[in-house]
Amino acid sequence: MNQIWGSIEQYNTVVWHWPIAVYLFLAGLSAGAIISAIVIKWMKGNDVSPSDGIIKAGSILAPVTIGAGLLLLITDLTRPLHFWKLLIHYNFGSVMTLGVLALFAYFPVVILFFMGVFKKELFETGPLQFLAPLANLALAYAKLIESVTLILAVGVGAYTGFLLSAMNSYPLFNTPVLPALFLVSGVSAGISANLVVGLLFFKSSTKDGNVSYLHGLDVKVSFVELFFLFILFVGMFYQGGSAAHVAHAALSTGGLSTLLWLGVIGLGLVLPIGLNFALPHGVKHSHGFVIFNSLIVLIGVMSLRYYILYAGQVFVG
Amino acid sequence: MAKKYGMIHDNNLCIGCQACSIACRSENEIPESVYRLQVWVKEEEYPNGTIGYEYHRQSCVQCENTPCVGVCPTKASHITEEGIVLVDVDLCVGCLYCVAACPYQARYVHPVTKAPDKCTFCHDTRLARGEEPACVTVCPTDALIFGDLNDPKSKINQALSSRVTYREKEKLGTNPKMFIVPNHKGGINS
Ligand code: SF4
Ligand code: SF4
Ligand code: SF4
Repeated sequence: MNQIWGSIEQYNTVVWHWPIAVYLFLAGLSAGAIISAIVIKWMKGNDVSPSDGIIKAGSILAPVTIGAGLLLLITDLTRPLHFWKLLIHYNFGSVMTLGVLALFAYFPVVILFFMGVFKKELFETGPLQFLAPLANLALAYAKLIESVTLILAVGVGAYTGFLLSAMNSYPLFNTPVLPALFLVSGVSAGISANLVVGLLFFKSSTKDGNVSYLHGLDVKVSFVELFFLFILFVGMFYQGGSAAHVAHAALSTGGLSTLLWLGVIGLGLVLPIGLNFALPHGVKHSHGFVIFNSLIVLIGVMSLRYYILYAGQVFVG
Repeated sequence: MAKKYGMIHDNNLCIGCQACSIACRSENEIPESVYRLQVWVKEEEYPNGTIGYEYHRQSCVQCENTPCVGVCPTKASHITEEGIVLVDVDLCVGCLYCVAACPYQARYVHPVTKAPDKCTFCHDTRLARGEEPACVTVCPTDALIFGDLNDPKSKINQALSSRVTYREKEKLGTNPKMFIVPNHKGGINS
């Protein structure tokens, strides 16, 4: 089809650009960081653990990453000064409204969680002391807050996938696996980020039980992620028609397919899984390796968000 | 019963002259570089071996089942009682979810308001004055027919009962109110 007259620039199918990919990454990471921190906290028992480096890392990462992501999202709106209208006008049929509501509840609870974890360091003395009652509240109702946070975090992690899968104009988005894939890879990113921050800033040691537990969990989660990625494409091939064409193009065309094979699958999934099988125990659990492993997983998850967002919009059949 | 506006684009009558597109721009004060409507051309080889041209009207098809309205978080994108899909600029935050969700690439970002804009069936301009849309009025071959789908005697319903029509991407379930009469030059007559 050719246009006869006029510019066709507005008919570009790429509507959402890289800030959205980064937002999707940060939202997933935030949810994953708090989920894995809470899991560790529950494993170790509520009273011992607040001093644990991994839990501290998660309690900081979750609010900071979601905050940064939302800031990015707002500045990326074409009418950023109107963003507050999102907070008072709802369409319960829209995934975006459901996401806004989930984030409404999620943001305060992750902050409460953070305040509970850092009560001793930040709120017992000093300028923030006036917040001590809130931190006490967070500790008193820790279990309840953590349960609610866990549910909301799963919601936040999955909604980013629903946001894209709700659109039938893009076959690569419009699959039911996407929310699960995003949730799982978000958990993977959260675990990795917790490990990096915990090991670098909170003197966690790879000898800690929870560090090696999380590190081991990361490998298992990567398997699940690989499997979901497999289902995504096989499902599209089974659908046939334009979905199959799109899947074929997305797997084999241009820089985006290179990003998928090298960045997402090679660097982010196969390399960490392979190294964790091949390397001897001593190396695998060394400080340096765990950090290296976490960094490549993070790069892989970011690449996945970028790949899905762009490939979904570029390959439309 | 409320009115339900629809439109027909007859591919046999359309000659790709772009008069509709220009009338639309003038009537609705469309800024430079964006378009509510374009007419595209595609070369077709017919079964009898002759080459012909198909014309594609590229604009909002006024879905009844509106993906763009469904995803809008603030209800800025909405559908009127008369079945016309509009954007309330005041409510729009510019998330572009609707632009992405529209399977017909009908929406663009208005360079001044920064909110999505699209064909409105001339809702605020000619329709408000009781006239037909600009593109329909100006079409030299009467390839465009506009009217109330709920009125059995309307011009559009008479045309629909006498011409074979289809709608684009029907399998998506969007139920467009834009009907297309396929080209039957060269012997296709379905
Ligand atoms: S064509 Fe696009 S903009 Fe028009 S009603 Fe359908 S989905 Fe909405
Ligand atoms: S860009 Fe505006 S009209 Fe479109 S979905 Fe977002 S808020 Fe609604
Ligand atoms: S109905 Fe009006 S707004 Fe829509 S394309 Fe025709 S002239 Fe433009």
